[in-house]
Amino acid sequence: MIKNIFLKTLLVLSIILTIGPILLVAIQSFSFRWVWPDLLPQRFGLRAWKAVFEDPSLLQALGNSMMITAAVVMLTMVISMPAARALAFEQFKGKTVIETILMLPLLIPLLFIVMGLHLTMIRFNLADTLAGVILVHLLPCVPYAIRILRTGYERVGTKWYEQAIVLGASRQKQFWTITVPMLMPSIRSAIVLTVVITLSQYALTAIIGGGIITTLPIIYYPYFNSADQPIIAAFTLLFAVLPILFWFVIELICRSVTTMIRQP
Amino acid sequence: MNLKITALILIFSMFLAACNSEGNGEPQTSKVPDQKWEDIEQEAEGSTVNLFMWGGDNGINRYIDDWVAPKLKENHDITLKRHPMDTNEFIQKLQTEKKAGKDKGTIDIIWINGENFKNAKENQLLLGSFASKLPNYEKYINQDKNFTKSDMGTDIDGMEAPWGNVQFVMWYDSEKVKNPPKNMDELKKFVKEHPGKFTYPNPKDFSGNAFLRHVLYEKTDQDPKLNEKDDPSWLEGEDEAFWKDLKEISPHLWRKGKTYPESLSQLDQLYSKGEVWFTLGFNEARGEGLIKDGVFPPSTESFVLDVGSIGNTHYLSIPFNSPNPEGAMVAINFMESPEAQLAKMDPSMWGEGMVLESDRLPKDIQKELQALNRGDTVLSTKELEEAYLPELNSTYIDWIKEHWLNEVVQK
Repeated sequence: MIKNIFLKTLLVLSIILTIGPILLVAIQSFSFRWVWPDLLPQRFGLRAWKAVFEDPSLLQALGNSMMITAAVVMLTMVISMPAARALAFEQFKGKTVIETILMLPLLIPLLFIVMGLHLTMIRFNLADTLAGVILVHLLPCVPYAIRILRTGYERVGTKWYEQAIVLGASRQKQFWTITVPMLMPSIRSAIVLTVVITLSQYALTAIIGGGIITTLPIIYYPYFNSADQPIIAAFTLLFAVLPILFWFVIELICRSVTTMIRQP
Repeated sequence: MNLKITALILIFSMFLAACNSEGNGEPQTSKVPDQKWEDIEQEAEGSTVNLFMWGGDNGINRYIDDWVAPKLKENHDITLKRHPMDTNEFIQKLQTEKKAGKDKGTIDIIWINGENFKNAKENQLLLGSFASKLPNYEKYINQDKNFTKSDMGTDIDGMEAPWGNVQFVMWYDSEKVKNPPKNMDELKKFVKEHPGKFTYPNPKDFSGNAFLRHVLYEKTDQDPKLNEKDDPSWLEGEDEAFWKDLKEISPHLWRKGKTYPESLSQLDQLYSKGEVWFTLGFNEARGEGLIKDGVFPPSTESFVLDVGSIGNTHYLSIPFNSPNPEGAMVAINFMESPEAQLAKMDPSMWGEGMVLESDRLPKDIQKELQALNRGDTVLSTKELEEAYLPELNSTYIDWIKEHWLNEVVQK
């Protein structure tokens, strides 16, 4: 009984803590002069939203953001799955060195790396291109993905694979019948994390994309340098919609993959 | 085996990178086009111009997107693309591109002034002397004015073209303050009576620093040395009155002076929420749009300090590796045209002052200029002109920044 009440208050509290700020931002985005100690804004208006949607590069920015995110997620998974598996199961010379190198982007400030990387990117003609931005976004994403997937592999262990080999399953079959279903929770969280990380990159995109590759943060962040709170709030809400959208798509794909595998 | 392959790839890619940079041994920097203006205009037709500028003000963005870009398309068939980026960032980008020998960049026009201009000029990040090629610059801008020669102590040499003139003013909420303090003595009295209602941004911020430059003007009785000498070392020993007053008001400021707003936008936010009763900054008409958008209270009014009001100019320039210098020049020339400068003064967009000489303008523009209502919070042209103070050399900015921490914060 007491436990029940405790759980309920906890639930209400967490709802207030998560919905509350979002609600505040939503009201703020429609507000016209909202000054302490007023409980609600003096007037409401669509000015901020109009300003956001009138930005001529908004559509392009949304398109770029989605394209980059999709590409980064795919590349991150393609790189991280085998890398995580090797780190989890194999023993080889120089493993610690490779492990350290893979974790390096998390330890060294990225801005520091990118300054130097910019020079190389210019030489390879990758600066100011979408491809360059996608590549540089892998930097903060891959280490996290490897971390998560590696724990996933370690949790599953080698026993299942040994069993599959004994039964004569091909590598491909092992992947679809063991790796994908058993690792699904890890894959899912790795993807979600990648989406969030890549969507919010400002500095990397600005330097390597050179301002030419416009993503949502590129037009959104400069407004933090102003006192115009409603516009910041409107952009923030728009910015929050994208990960949610991606999350839906990812869930859809993950589920359909799982059901596809179950039906032989 | 695997290791060998990796090593091979590594060596190969290094070789590639090295090759590439050697290939660029002779960077072919673009040159200022030297054809006749008509030919330049013709060449620019149908091209795209990329303008890089700070993007945090909706009014300024709207002026570029909704007024300049469509007009430029209509008159010159040029597509103007605005890219929001902080000034430091595109200067950094140009610097890296210079180092890498990238002779075809992505930026055609940059919006700069003061220290950034000095930095860009010293590192040869600019195309060259182009301003005198612009017909509107020649026709409407008074070349005897100091802002065409020197940008905060750095010789301009035609490497940037003036775009806007702004003056420093203070804003206050007239509902809460009846007689705003206009000099340090009044301010000392005011902050003691109303603790926590006044503050200024940390002098690392350009506008906060400008406020202190006004105090410096006042406390040295507008010493002519301020304008004559590029080196502030003479202030040693003569700066006591300046620091004494700043120290005296400090404990009565917002949050007891233990912390200062990091930027002007933070001070604006405090003012917008009514936490402090004053804000400040360049562009005498800045308040209009902010009131209209509901950011500032409608009872906002502006005033200039007794000592005067520093005037500051900002400029447009072309980087060394602009892929379209012709288009950039036509676009800059257009932005210096009487109609573009007049539209810029419209308080519903940007509202800031023009760089053109008003008596040189065409008659109809002059008439419109006189009829233009810049808004109730904007002081009269006469009052602003009378208060005008020249900007100081940028070495004074650094001097204030450095000493402020020791003198005011740590004591």
